[in-house]
Amino acid sequence: MGEEELHQLIRGCIKQDRKCQKMLYKAFYGFAMGICLRYANSRDEAAEVMNQGFFKVFTHIGSFDTTRPFKAWLGKIMMNVSIDFYRANLKMAYTDDLETAEHISDNELADRNLNYNDLLAMVQQLPQAYRTVFNLFAIEGYSHEEIGEMLNINAGTSKSNLHKARQKLKQMILNADATAKNTNYGSGTGYTPIVALNAISMQGIFLNKGIRG
Amino acid sequence: MSNEKDKNLDDLFRKKLQDPVNEAGFREEDWDSLEEMLDEKKKRRGIIFWLPVLGSVAALLLLFLGWWMFRPQINRSNTGNSVAVTSRHTKTNTGINGGTERQPEGVKQSNPLPESHADNSQSGKSISGSKSFFTLSAKGTRRNSGNGSSTVSGTPETAGEGIAANNNKGIAGSNKKSITTNNKRIMVAAGPTYDFNSGSISNQNVAAVKLPLKNAIIAVTAEPKVKVKSTFHPQYALTVLAAPDANGVGSSFQQSKLGTNFGLAFSVDVSKKFTISTGAVYSVKPYSAEYGQYHINYQPAVTPTQVIADCRMLDIPLNVGYQIYNKHQNRISLGTGLSSYIMLHESYTFNYADSYTSPTHFTVPNSNKYFFGVANFNATYEHRLNSKASIMLQPYLKLPLTNIGYSQVRLQTTGVAVGLHWNLNSLSKP
Repeated sequence: MGEEELHQLIRGCIKQDRKCQKMLYKAFYGFAMGICLRYANSRDEAAEVMNQGFFKVFTHIGSFDTTRPFKAWLGKIMMNVSIDFYRANLKMAYTDDLETAEHISDNELADRNLNYNDLLAMVQQLPQAYRTVFNLFAIEGYSHEEIGEMLNINAGTSKSNLHKARQKLKQMILNADATAKNTNYGSGTGYTPIVALNAISMQGIFLNKGIRG
Repeated sequence: MSNEKDKNLDDLFRKKLQDPVNEAGFREEDWDSLEEMLDEKKKRRGIIFWLPVLGSVAALLLLFLGWWMFRPQINRSNTGNSVAVTSRHTKTNTGINGGTERQPEGVKQSNPLPESHADNSQSGKSISGSKSFFTLSAKGTRRNSGNGSSTVSGTPETAGEGIAANNNKGIAGSNKKSITTNNKRIMVAAGPTYDFNSGSISNQNVAAVKLPLKNAIIAVTAEPKVKVKSTFHPQYALTVLAAPDANGVGSSFQQSKLGTNFGLAFSVDVSKKFTISTGAVYSVKPYSAEYGQYHINYQPAVTPTQVIADCRMLDIPLNVGYQIYNKHQNRISLGTGLSSYIMLHESYTFNYADSYTSPTHFTVPNSNKYFFGVANFNATYEHRLNSKASIMLQPYLKLPLTNIGYSQVRLQTTGVAVGLHWNLNSLSKP
């Protein structure tokens, strides 16, 4: 979306024009959902949180400074709404035992062909408090002090939650690896037909050329 | 080393999660739910917008009630004017036919009638040309500003909203004043010459009352019509109702007796929140009270200790309801308004300390009408059964503004109406 087009939409939204609101919603749906999904337990919950975020966007769009990037503003709202949504759960104490998964190496991480959905599913499986801190620290790039302030927890708690989140994620990666090995041919069969098709079409072209030649 | 590993882990998640290869696809239902939220907010704003209007309606009602409270004193001071009956009639006629007669300021007591006719004819005309919600106010302004009733049909929109309070009061007031003064005077005129056996008030007098009454009804029922025109989709509904209630005299229900009511009500939703309803309810109201609370012109030789009365009347309410809750199948609304009582039959039983004293009984078979003599307050809970029908539960309170019945008691009623509500135009507009 062009800058001019975006500003036009924003102007429409300031006038509470329903069409413009929908267009803006559609345009940033994926982006906003990407953020909310990371903080939420499920897609439906993420959608609910995202709608709350958009509701704030539409009701406060008059206060948006158009000289600043809209996407960043929207992202921040989505993050804040997500934190608020789960705030009640953030202080819950988790006493689950963490399996040590220290032995996982860099190469192992890099080798694993984990896609967006795999990683998202892992983050979503984290307990709320770990997930929020992990999101804020590892993905948004906040410091523990900042996170402590945002979540109203100690920096130490933030650190500890981050550590536990990482442990859990590593464990999940290892587990995923194990299940992947068990159903090893899943990806193999997925790619083979495409390769074959490519080969056939190549051959066809080649053969044609051969006849003409 | 451990930090390095953690960093790699973080990087892996950051890179992949910050840049979703396949972004979550747009779902229409998500937008729908957001739209619902936004609509809800608008609605709430709507209520805020309505607050001043509601406030002014409430203020109006208070003003009106206040006016009613003081009204009986004015009447009493005028009761000496016994010749007024005939003179009033001639004036009435000129009022109807010409409608041009101007009433000077400081009109004497016998004059309110023509004034009310002038109002009526105005209201009748302005209905046809009006679109504004506040059309009603236009009538009064014109009256106040001194234009005769002949110059109507103009531009009702020009009337300011702010004047509504005076105007409504003016219209309703003038009508009622004229009617009730009639009634009062008839009561008084009939009083001293009342024949116990004939038991009726002179027909002529009753007839004399009828004419202005008709006009009064027209003027009042015109009100919902105007509103209906001005709003988008009026919905009509019919309610069949039955209600047991407790009737008491004075300030308490201590000696209350159980009455029965059944009737029909017709209501119009003039906006999403407001409903105007009217109807006819046949009421059987038995009540008992100390003799001192009655104001009967006929004085039995021995003062009875207690009087038990049984009144049969037609209750014609005109209420406005405001919906405060509407979710799922349930609706709750609060309503207020005025009721007119048309007495059909009154019978009184006197109890004496000495059980052999007479008379013990007398009846008033053909008696009066009390227009807007009772204030209604109610709360309605409605549960929708389907698109057409709903059941209704309505606790209500009726407080007297005037003395009711031949015995002139302040009869108050509280009860619960149960009804079946039928949407008349649910097919055309669900």
